[in-house]
Amino acid sequence: MKVLHRDVVPNGPGVVKLVPVDSDDLWLVYNLIATGDRVMAVTFRKVLRAKSGGKNSERVAMKLEIEVEAMDYDKEGAVLRIKGKNILQNEYVTIGAFHTLQLQLCRPFVLTKETWDSLALDVLHQASDPGATADLAVVLMQEGLANILLVGRSVTITSSRIEASIPRKHGPAIVGYESALKTFFENVVQAFIKHVDFNVIRCAVIASPGFTKDQFHRHLLLEAERKQVRPIIENKSRIILVQTSSGYKHSLREVLDAPSVMKMIKDTKAAEEVRTFRDFFDMLSNDPARACYGPKHVGIAHERLAVQTLLITDDLFRSSDVKSRQKYEDLVKEVKKAGGIAHIFSSMHVSGEELAQLTGIAAILRIPLPDLDDIEM
Amino acid sequence: MPRKVNYGVDYDDDYDEYDYGYEVEDNEETPPEQETIKRSVWRCAVCTYDNDETMSSCDICGVLRGPLLKNLTYDEKRAGFNSLAANIFYLKSSRVHSIVVGEDEAVKVSSKRLDSSDVSTAKDKHNRLDEITFNMQSSGKSLLSLMPKERNVMVANSSSSRNGGKAHDLASNLKNISFSAESGHSNDTNPGRANSYAQYKPEKWMLPGKTEHSLAQLNLAIVGHVDSGKSTLSGRLLHLLGRISQKDMQKYEKESKLQGKGSFAYAWALDESAEERERGITMTVAVAYFDSKIYHVVVLDSPGHKDFVPNMITGATQADAAILVIDASIGSFEAGMDGTKGQTREHAQLIRSFGVDQLIVAVNKMDVVDYSKDRFDLIILQLGTFLRSCGFKDSSVSWIPLSAAKNQNLVSAPSDFRLSWYHGPNLLDTIDSFQPPPRDFSKPLLMPICDVIKSSSQGQVSACGKLEAGALRSGSKVLVMPSAIIATVRSLERDSQPCTIGRAGDNVAVSLHGVDANHVLAGGVLCHPDFPVAFAKHLELKVLVLDVATPILIGSQLEFHIHHAKESARVARISSLLDSKTGKVAKKAPRCIVAKQSAVVEVTLHEAVCVEEFSKCKALGRVFLRTLGRTVAVGIVTRIVEV
Repeated sequence: MKVLHRDVVPNGPGVVKLVPVDSDDLWLVYNLIATGDRVMAVTFRKVLRAKSGGKNSERVAMKLEIEVEAMDYDKEGAVLRIKGKNILQNEYVTIGAFHTLQLQLCRPFVLTKETWDSLALDVLHQASDPGATADLAVVLMQEGLANILLVGRSVTITSSRIEASIPRKHGPAIVGYESALKTFFENVVQAFIKHVDFNVIRCAVIASPGFTKDQFHRHLLLEAERKQVRPIIENKSRIILVQTSSGYKHSLREVLDAPSVMKMIKDTKAAEEVRTFRDFFDMLSNDPARACYGPKHVGIAHERLAVQTLLITDDLFRSSDVKSRQKYEDLVKEVKKAGGIAHIFSSMHVSGEELAQLTGIAAILRIPLPDLDDIEM
Repeated sequence: MPRKVNYGVDYDDDYDEYDYGYEVEDNEETPPEQETIKRSVWRCAVCTYDNDETMSSCDICGVLRGPLLKNLTYDEKRAGFNSLAANIFYLKSSRVHSIVVGEDEAVKVSSKRLDSSDVSTAKDKHNRLDEITFNMQSSGKSLLSLMPKERNVMVANSSSSRNGGKAHDLASNLKNISFSAESGHSNDTNPGRANSYAQYKPEKWMLPGKTEHSLAQLNLAIVGHVDSGKSTLSGRLLHLLGRISQKDMQKYEKESKLQGKGSFAYAWALDESAEERERGITMTVAVAYFDSKIYHVVVLDSPGHKDFVPNMITGATQADAAILVIDASIGSFEAGMDGTKGQTREHAQLIRSFGVDQLIVAVNKMDVVDYSKDRFDLIILQLGTFLRSCGFKDSSVSWIPLSAAKNQNLVSAPSDFRLSWYHGPNLLDTIDSFQPPPRDFSKPLLMPICDVIKSSSQGQVSACGKLEAGALRSGSKVLVMPSAIIATVRSLERDSQPCTIGRAGDNVAVSLHGVDANHVLAGGVLCHPDFPVAFAKHLELKVLVLDVATPILIGSQLEFHIHHAKESARVARISSLLDSKTGKVAKKAPRCIVAKQSAVVEVTLHEAVCVEEFSKCKALGRVFLRTLGRTVAVGIVTRIVEV
């Protein structure tokens, strides 16, 4: 994300001009903007023109500033829709009229906020950090099922999902098996070529249980040779093979855990999230009294100053209820002050999704608190 | 007098016998109660409670008083009335509403039936109870004169008047009724009503006659750690019994030597795909047939590799008995027994959860350890303790030392003098000594589809699988689930030979007519058109967590395996934790469940699967939960929450 202009007072009002570059950035913007902020951008509006004989309405490009009331993030389409009331004097649009702004990639916009709290500043800082993109393309497959995922810095997108029914292989049906498998691989190769852009990603991972990945890898290289697909041939060395236990999406965790992949992405947020989540899980199985989840339990643990690591999804920050947002913010700040670590998980990543299933907030504690078990969640 | 005593958590009497260091009462050993005759009382045939003469139905179990049925089937041999009734009716007896009006008798019984379907206790004992109650009913009252629809409506009403503990909607109620309407041998009912919801009458050809082939079917799964010699053992057996011609064997030997895998020559009889042969492993379950003296044996040779356990599950779910193959060589046995990396344990646990209680442990590769008796005894000691903890009874486990490579002790007595210390039966004889498993001939058709073969040349679709219940013959109409299309059976094939009738227990390939190949999928079910099988996404399960490191939390993503289907699943809710000894609710809504705990959980699947409650159909009610390459929990379906 490019920050074109910045004029911010910490914990005070401020203005920034941003240009989102990839879908990750849109996600950050989504987290950044809250109800009540003001966004100005170039947009289109259908305007009624009193014109005899000819078009009655016309799409006019104009610069509008709206006060944000609601937001809608479209992951697959990479667009962020912001709905709100117009507050800028405009010849076409009256003040107070509703409008929906569409923030797209490579289009600048100006954001004005009343209070730039620490979290918002954090996000801004993260956004402008050019390095540390996870950018991994993962083909998670098993016999008959393949998921192609693009792991970004804060977002994981499922580019495509291919399912095929592959018969068993014994007796006369073997021919059927081979041909069905071949068709399946063909489809996956096509999707791979379409979605995986080696200029953007660091490396491609093919993961599966059993030997499907080896078979597919072989097939992919052969196809690339045959059809002379340059990007794949040049980047042969950037394709890694990883063993997982299944081809379902939640096995992405295992992929990110694998040492070969970890090496490539160790400085990125996604890897960190996976590591932290794994630590939480280990703690829960080894010493259940030292791990807890759910807002009530975590709240109690925090009161007793027992929280060592806080895991929280950014979903909770985006709640429109300002009070609860404030509460979580305070929680994060206090944990940090007490010497603990707070990890904000992107709910668009695999581990973030899993954390969200667990109510979205969890903690690893310094001291065991066995009586939490008795308190209702 | 009535015995209202609970026999503990008993799914298939598997789970309570996962002995984690405590003694559990064994249900089947309880002796039947003594008959006591008292005047002016009548003894309930089901729960043996002595009711007052004035009562027209049993006070405890609600079964109508009526003439006892004739022809009880093989089930009769299984267990006495008593333990069955006591088991089933204890926990839920409080749910019986005492609606004591004429027609409602049936309702009461059927609502009881519905209630008790939650009680995951005795299996075929339960089925038998259905037959009994419905027989009594049919002979006692002319309830069947009621239109099926009315009856269903009545039951639906009664179920809504029940405390809404069960979220059955009307549709699933209907389905439940239709299943509870299975009856064994109500020969006294109107034959014209064969397809009414009220009851399912098996046609004459469905039941095995006396003049039929005397060999019974036995599905035998071969499991064990990777490289223990499963495929080689199966290949040897097939060759020795003449199922593989000399020419084929020579071809395998020649080709395998060419590829540098000479020692795998026998395994190639089972591993037919290029991939399997190249790597020297089995990847999917291979099916082969042979005949012993007593049985038609269907051999299900499973993969031993850790990554292929899902394939092993879908293959071995058809098994009636199993052979656990152990590699006796130094180091290999220990590697197999390893908790995390070895498959011996996991396979043994899975096999037990399939309901298999008869096991042969074949200690293979004895030639490598010079047929040492000490090694054999050591293996028996270590593995025996583990098997006992899984729930295998010592009397149903046989231990056989053999060598598949050297053909020792397979079909004949060992010729090698070093094995002369062994005086027991050889492998084939031990297979013959298995008890014939019970078959549900008289239930409506149910066949989970293991495999689909499309022969595009003739536009035919063949579904392969084991018939769990009922029977099929060419021309019968079947309902293909989940696509709910009715198709006709064009032909049946067993062991590559066409056959006319397939019955419960047979492993057949059904060639279907009238359905598109895309609608028949592995993981689906073929069922009777009038008795469709339920399919749902939200299920309530009673699970037992195995000895694994990771706890199960709300929101955990797991892989869900049921008969031949597998789906990705998420734990939606952990309803309660159960006390492993008594089966009662120990804690409501726990935070997580850890190893060796039993709990009731609700899961949400990614896609709907064909499923039945365990109490109705065991084969469609067993589930396995896996994650990160290990089986974390085994369980049964207690309730279908919603579709």
